[in-house]
Amino acid sequence: MTDIRDGNGLAAAEKLYTQYGSRARELKASGKKVIGYLSALGPVEIMTAAGVLPIRLKGNVSEAISKGDAYMETIVCPFVRNVFDLAVKGKYDFLDGMVLPHQCDSIDRTNETWSYALKLPYWHFLNVPHVTDDPSIAFMKEILRIFIKTLEKFTGKAITDQAIADAVKAHNNNRKLMRELYDLRKSNLPLISGSEMMKVLVAAMSIPVEESSALIEAVTKEVKERKPAAANPKAKRIMLIGDQIDDVAVIEAIESTGAYLVMDDLSTGSKMYWQDVDATADPVQGIAERYLRKLKIPTTFVGSADTYQGILEERFGHMKKYVNEFKVDGAILFIYKYCDPYGFEVPAIKSYVEAAGAPVLYLEDEYSTSSLARVKTRIEAFLEMIA
Amino acid sequence: MAEEKKGRAVATSTAAKIPKFVRGNLSATLKAKEEGKKVAAAFIADGQDEIMRAMDIVPAWGESFSGVCAAKRDAEKYLQKAESDNFSRSLCTYATCNIGFDMMREELGGATPEGAPWGGMGRPDMMLGNGQLLCDPRFKWPQATQHYQQDVPVFVTNMYYPPWDPNADHHEQEAIYVKYATEELRETVKFCEKITGKKMDWDRLAATVELSDKTWDLFIDTYELRKHIPTPMDTGDAMNTMVPLTFNLGTQEAYDFYVDLNAELRQKIADGVGVANPERYRIIWAAGLPSWFALGDFQYFNGKGVVFPVEVTYRGCEKIERLDLPKTNDPLEHIAWRWVRYWTHWYDAAKKRPGSTPKVERIIEYIEDYKCDGAVFHSAFSCRSWHAGIMQQAATLKKVYKDIPILIMEGDIVDISSYNEADTHNRIDAFIETLAAYKKRQG
Ligand code: SF4
Ligand code: SF4
Repeated sequence: MTDIRDGNGLAAAEKLYTQYGSRARELKASGKKVIGYLSALGPVEIMTAAGVLPIRLKGNVSEAISKGDAYMETIVCPFVRNVFDLAVKGKYDFLDGMVLPHQCDSIDRTNETWSYALKLPYWHFLNVPHVTDDPSIAFMKEILRIFIKTLEKFTGKAITDQAIADAVKAHNNNRKLMRELYDLRKSNLPLISGSEMMKVLVAAMSIPVEESSALIEAVTKEVKERKPAAANPKAKRIMLIGDQIDDVAVIEAIESTGAYLVMDDLSTGSKMYWQDVDATADPVQGIAERYLRKLKIPTTFVGSADTYQGILEERFGHMKKYVNEFKVDGAILFIYKYCDPYGFEVPAIKSYVEAAGAPVLYLEDEYSTSSLARVKTRIEAFLEMIA
Repeated sequence: MAEEKKGRAVATSTAAKIPKFVRGNLSATLKAKEEGKKVAAAFIADGQDEIMRAMDIVPAWGESFSGVCAAKRDAEKYLQKAESDNFSRSLCTYATCNIGFDMMREELGGATPEGAPWGGMGRPDMMLGNGQLLCDPRFKWPQATQHYQQDVPVFVTNMYYPPWDPNADHHEQEAIYVKYATEELRETVKFCEKITGKKMDWDRLAATVELSDKTWDLFIDTYELRKHIPTPMDTGDAMNTMVPLTFNLGTQEAYDFYVDLNAELRQKIADGVGVANPERYRIIWAAGLPSWFALGDFQYFNGKGVVFPVEVTYRGCEKIERLDLPKTNDPLEHIAWRWVRYWTHWYDAAKKRPGSTPKVERIIEYIEDYKCDGAVFHSAFSCRSWHAGIMQQAATLKKVYKDIPILIMEGDIVDISSYNEADTHNRIDAFIETLAAYKKRQG
């Protein structure tokens, strides 16, 4: 097990980041079942309550797709393709099963491609709705119950309401700790850099929740002890917006220009940590509400306000808050090619965030380091523009 | 959907009425204001047809308009317009073509942009989406359009069906899905009542639903005439004859169209008239929306003796009796059952054949029923909904059924830049050679 103690939080995160899945492999060897999932919609509380280890699958931007294209079309989201390719190549051979939440067409339409190619002992497609009205909450509860039943069957153990309530507490605590770590980015010179933060975020999604919380606490303590240095007054404070960014490559491209990445609205980052599950009498109710109504991702339709401006506030209001709280000078909207959910939001997000005071650079890219030089040039030009 | 430019040599004469349907649907959106009717930007296969028809709401079919632009090879200006405001070229081109058009119309204060194919489409009073399993643009596209038409309210419903899982009992789950879909349809009615200021006439809705059921039945009866050898109609025509079912469901005109088509096909069979003469190979169009700008490729196939007696695309219905729908007096619940069962009624067959999937079972059923020798798929780059997963379907088909010849063509629905006629014809020729060798082996 990765040794987590005072003073070595960042080193532990670095190790878990570079050797992604190493802890899952260890736990698997000791008899624990490991379930992989994609996207921010994986209901980790339920998997934790089931006694399995949930691990969010990540890709590898430096690795070219070599086997996956024999099974999966190139019109699929490049992130999904990359993870699938790694899975086909055996990088995730420690998995006992997977949950694919219905996030988008790239996931929904490849469900059978994944399940038939990987042939894992456990497989579940979690049919998360795309709207958030009351019938959808009731439906979400139903599909979470179906998910619970299939996990019970797979593990041979009942998942009690108490176990779910306990897991909810543990994950809420984990989120609170991560938000506290995010707070340390608010200072003039952020106490933790964007790429360090990304490593912590990635490490945290690959280990059991208690270990994840211990890791975040250790990192927080460690960076708080850093001696405050003077910030470069000219350095721009950047926010990164997007979905599955789980690699430091883009972040290093931003920070190597001298800018500070101080905040994100990523589904591997703040989207995961800003919203807790309410403790409800029926714990599944709180889980349904969090994943469907509180998570701010473009794959749920939100639009109950009477005016368009009101609807924009519902959808993106949190980003305005981030701009103010984290003193953001500019935002980078980083969207993968072939991503319809995010792609259709680009003009709306761009104008909203710009109206909130942060100019926006929109970049459409592949999930690959091959185009990094071009990306870096565009970022540099953007930073010059907002200087 | 395509405009009949040169007159297709093999077209049924009934199919020649299609441009009138398409034009009629487009012009209805322009005339609605004068007639005091409300216009709804809407999507096909969204389960909302009968609600709109029963409430005199005029559907503005964005997909149809984009198809027309594509068939006229006149979509590029709209695609570019959308791109100018950062809509990626990799997004659904039906959507970006429409959004580009809508952006231009807004800049003109609501007036139709000059040179719009077939007179363009009217500005909607509402947008109806559906976050169903069919595709993301069905709820992201209206939301994106609202950025330019901020006063137009959007309502998005959600209609799912149980996902395929060989280890799950979908029958157990169906009721949950039907309940949800019914409630969502009820929410749709409420929204439409609010916008139109009129109450739903439930008897009229029930009658409309009944008419749709009859149309589904007649459509299948008619299409099954294509089992005949030589087949009297192929997919090239079906890409047009799908229009009444797909865009005019719940209207008498749609039903009457299939009465005429049925009569014509019967006559052709009686006269021994087939699409290709001689008919050498029968192929299933196993998945994929067509390239609207290259429908002539079907004729290229036909010219070589290859016919498509059946296609999965735009066959969005089934004989009602085959769906075994539970009885209900609630027309919305009936729509919901019909919707869910339309998808799940291949699940049992898939369970019986280890390693199979419902999509593959459907293809196998058609191959057997229509005596097909091979399968063609079209993979359009801008639509993941119908086109991601095709490779898996093709591989599964070969594995669980037969090693039949398969061609996967790559292109797009609207974006012509991806198309090369010579290359496409070369690939078709190579496929026909494979077919010839296969048939020879079969004896
Ligand atoms: S980046 Fe877009 S297409 Fe890819 S998984 Fe996320 S939502 Fe889906
Ligand atoms: S089904 Fe495909 S082509 Fe049709 S709207 Fe959806 S993504 Fe676009």
